[in-house]
Amino acid sequence: MTRKILVDTDPGIDDTMAILFALRSPEFEITGLTTVFGNTDVVFTAQNALRLVELEGHDHIPVAQGAGRPLILPLRSLGKLVHGQDGMGNTNPPPPKGRLASQHAAQFIVETVLANPGEITLVPVGPLTNLALALRLDARIAGLVKEVVLMGGSAFRGGNASPVAEANIYNDPHAAWIVFNAGWPLTMVGLDVTMGCIMTVEYLNKLCQSGNPATDLIGQILPAYQEFHDQVYGMGGAIHTHDPSAIAYLLDPDLFQTERMPVYVETEGKCAGQTVPDRRRQWIEAPVVNVCLKVNAPDLQKLYRERLSR
Amino acid sequence: MRRFWIDTDTASDDAVAILMALRWPDVHVEGISVVSGNVPVEMGARNARTTVELCGKDTPVYMGLARPLLREPIYAYFFHGPDGMGGMNYPEPKLPLASEHAVEALIGTVRAAPGEITLVTLGPLSNIAAALAVAPDLAEKIPMCFVMGGAAACLGNMTPAAEYNIWVDPEAARMVFHSGMPLLMVGWEHCRGAANLDDQDVAKVRSIGTPYAHFAIDCNASAIETNRTWLGDPGLSLPDPVTMAIALDESVCTRRKKHYVDVETQSEVTRGMTVVDELGVWNKQPNIEVCWAIDIPSWKESLYQTLH
Repeated sequence: MTRKILVDTDPGIDDTMAILFALRSPEFEITGLTTVFGNTDVVFTAQNALRLVELEGHDHIPVAQGAGRPLILPLRSLGKLVHGQDGMGNTNPPPPKGRLASQHAAQFIVETVLANPGEITLVPVGPLTNLALALRLDARIAGLVKEVVLMGGSAFRGGNASPVAEANIYNDPHAAWIVFNAGWPLTMVGLDVTMGCIMTVEYLNKLCQSGNPATDLIGQILPAYQEFHDQVYGMGGAIHTHDPSAIAYLLDPDLFQTERMPVYVETEGKCAGQTVPDRRRQWIEAPVVNVCLKVNAPDLQKLYRERLSR
Repeated sequence: MRRFWIDTDTASDDAVAILMALRWPDVHVEGISVVSGNVPVEMGARNARTTVELCGKDTPVYMGLARPLLREPIYAYFFHGPDGMGGMNYPEPKLPLASEHAVEALIGTVRAAPGEITLVTLGPLSNIAAALAVAPDLAEKIPMCFVMGGAAACLGNMTPAAEYNIWVDPEAARMVFHSGMPLLMVGWEHCRGAANLDDQDVAKVRSIGTPYAHFAIDCNASAIETNRTWLGDPGLSLPDPVTMAIALDESVCTRRKKHYVDVETQSEVTRGMTVVDELGVWNKQPNIEVCWAIDIPSWKESLYQTLH
């Protein structure tokens, strides 16, 4: 029995690593990729998503382009410095062959969830604008989604887009507020675990020598990402494992230590985008979220390599 | 024919505004999208269908957002009555609800006729904000949007600082005001005092004697009472019809100017306040037009002519 997932994404280098991980995992039936601004413009992220489904013959999977800006705030920043103007580390890949679905991503999410009641796991690994829009377009989906497993936020690890905010939440804090407060089962795969799982140069080199289209592509786009991690964190070619960690959680939740706690999303002011963990339950109104706090990094990386090196 | 689209949280004064558009000679209403606001979206859609049916039309009525983007819904039963229609309990209309989602229908209609569809909004701006988020190109394809909402002079009805439609979904209003769509904000201050229908005006409407005329007064039974007791303003205040009168005949607005206008979303005290930079002290690019004055006899005449 495969698990139906819909990945909302802004590829993006680590998004690419995550999507290829999902595409190469037989446990999943990927019902679609929906795309959003974030790591770069939405026009690029949508084209990249098409390239990814075409890479190894998954072009039956529909791709729907979504929001090009946050729900309420004006567009503040894109991750082009990390992911390149094209979201592929400035490698300027050839144009994809396929076409985008005609609907907006938010409409695509609504239609997919309504057509598969109780079955869809939403896996957002970018800003949460499309999911928030989908929830407001049709409130019924909150009760019809199996669960939401998102890459984003940070409970106790500080931020990467600001001292307190993780980039996906920071890029659209209002949308995050809507998604966190929707009343659906939600797991937060945030910086607490993604920064705790470091892929070393040796690991990456070996991975990229696997000699298949997926690892070849990763090898091409990775240098920009490694360079960013080196400049900002002095990691000497190693990288954090952001978006692939959400896919890993779906494949094997036992890789993670989790705790259920209320998480308040700050939407305004200097701390906008902060996900505040309320471990002692002092803010009773905050929604309870399943928060990933620790990760078994060696086993996660083993699983990743196993799927990617086939 | 000029082509209109009405977005509404249909309760009493919305119903009168819809009636005006449906009965105006050179206007065709392409569709009516309903949003959560004065009443829940299902009730608003029913009231809109009642109004369409009264006018003998088959204008499609679409349901849209069931709540504001971020805030909890706060309905205005206290003003418009338990059914939103002055407690008249009109029978369930026979006209069915259109099956398409309001936001999809609006996007489809505007894209099929770019530059042709005039938008008139009578409720919170949640539907319009969602439509612009899904289809940002609407901002260039809608030639004009007339908004009943806000208070350029900071004279609120929901709070001292804020008018109801903007207060209910300030984030949506902020999005729409900054979308680049040409927009005229008709604030609540133009819809009270001398702009009200006084006892003589109400008697005049009654004397017209048509079902439209009686409907316009009947469904506002609760509004007329609450306006007096709660806001200390005698007479029937009709914000949505005033805005519709301007959309139907722009000469009803006698002074308008484009300013930088923002909506307060962060404060408790001034939530939903429409801050108009009248003097340009922020030195920001003006984004929307503000209605500063209306021709009151002309607005009332516009109303009366649709009730015959």
